[in-house]
Amino acid sequence: MANFHRLPVARGRPVRFTFEGAPVDSFAGETLATALLAAQVGAFGHTREGNPRLPFCNMGTCFDCAVQVDGRGLVRACLTDVVEGMVVNMQEIK
Amino acid sequence: MTAHFDTIIIGGGLLGCATAWMIAREGGRVLLLERDQINQHASGSNAGSLHFQLEYRMIEGGLDKARKAAEAMPLHLDAAELWADLPRLTAEPIVVKQTGGLMIAETADQVRLLEQKTEIERAWGLDNRMIDRAGIERIAPYLSDRVIAAAHCTTEGKADARTAGPAFARAALAAGAHIRTRSEVRALSRRGRGWSVVAGSDESPQTLQADTVVIAAGVWTTRMGQMMGADLPTIPLALMMTVTQRMAPLIGHLVQHAGGRLSLKQALDGNILIGGGWPARLLRDAEGTPDFDAKPQLEASSLAGNARIAMGVLPRLAGVPALRSWVGTTTITPDQLPLVGPVPGCPGAFVATGGSAFTLGPSFAQALAALVAGRQPLTDLRSFDPARYAKG
Repeated sequence: MANFHRLPVARGRPVRFTFEGAPVDSFAGETLATALLAAQVGAFGHTREGNPRLPFCNMGTCFDCAVQVDGRGLVRACLTDVVEGMVVNMQEIK
Repeated sequence: MTAHFDTIIIGGGLLGCATAWMIAREGGRVLLLERDQINQHASGSNAGSLHFQLEYRMIEGGLDKARKAAEAMPLHLDAAELWADLPRLTAEPIVVKQTGGLMIAETADQVRLLEQKTEIERAWGLDNRMIDRAGIERIAPYLSDRVIAAAHCTTEGKADARTAGPAFARAALAAGAHIRTRSEVRALSRRGRGWSVVAGSDESPQTLQADTVVIAAGVWTTRMGQMMGADLPTIPLALMMTVTQRMAPLIGHLVQHAGGRLSLKQALDGNILIGGGWPARLLRDAEGTPDFDAKPQLEASSLAGNARIAMGVLPRLAGVPALRSWVGTTTITPDQLPLVGPVPGCPGAFVATGGSAFTLGPSFAQALAALVAGRQPLTDLRSFDPARYAKG
């Protein structure tokens, strides 16, 4: 299970969005990956066998953090800033 | 320091690893030398097709060339049987799915070509049969209605190219083979009744001795031949492949096209693998010698062409994001037939390479293991004899 916490530094204004329907509180300037990890989200997606995946490289290469944002697939959470009201879900396999 | 082995195998791709495993399980003392890492080159960068019917590159030049290429059919038949047994024989989790392959036709000319082609293949003993539009709707409803017929070969399919080579390497180690990576071969010479092999880094090369040497070196085959003083002509072909995002299970077959460069299949994880022989640009030095240490460059025209033909036969692909495209370099021969047999003028040295070497890797390995042991290979290798080029 992820166990991330925010360092005690100045943050931007609060930004709220949803992940899998649940509200997530974050701060302007954070990436989606940061916000989800700080919210103790345990899986950004799953493998074929159903095992959880979390960000691995944090620099846009591995795609293990890819999620669906406002209906658009294959969005890398590590390269995407949080936006007020964004609707984030795990990727569906169509 | 010197060390003596029964057999030294040059090349740690699928073929070299499978050969090491087959020789070691018969009790041979084997050393495999790999210049980089196991499975790093063509064996790990091809799309993992197991295609036993004649490929597009073998039929695009007309029926005479197709008949010539069909001389390799015994190796394809061996491979179809061997692949099915490999997970059990190696006790390794090699992913092999032989759920059938379709070579599809969109025009009457392509249908005629497929009919002639399947006739040639059936004469060699390959079970490849024409199916009509109704048959396609029954077994491959995912295909576009532009597809009017197909040749259906039930033993075709796919294997996981990422994991098959390393699985053979583990099986070889378990059977007692030795493997050295980052050990480039620098010199090969006859010594007594065997061979002396200099391998390793520039600073600390090592001299090793072996009774027999096997060249399983893909694009480096010609260079290894030169070190032995033998002519082993090969042609490197840099090719491009693309993988999409995961999709729910859709395609059960390996799909090829009778009228263009296409291979399509779905990996176990759901990603669609798209290839079929679209060229990438091989980097060369001022004299035109290919630089195999440099990654070939992707050609935008190949990317577009491959996507166009793939979406034409699989409309569902439109709108599915591609995750990445990559290149690998395969090795073919001047007459498109494999090169399998003794190295001319070099007693105790054997070679195998040349086109479809992922599909045919187990067949090549079985033939090499027999040659090394001094046995008559089960399959007649005369058409693939490397000496055919020396004669010309």
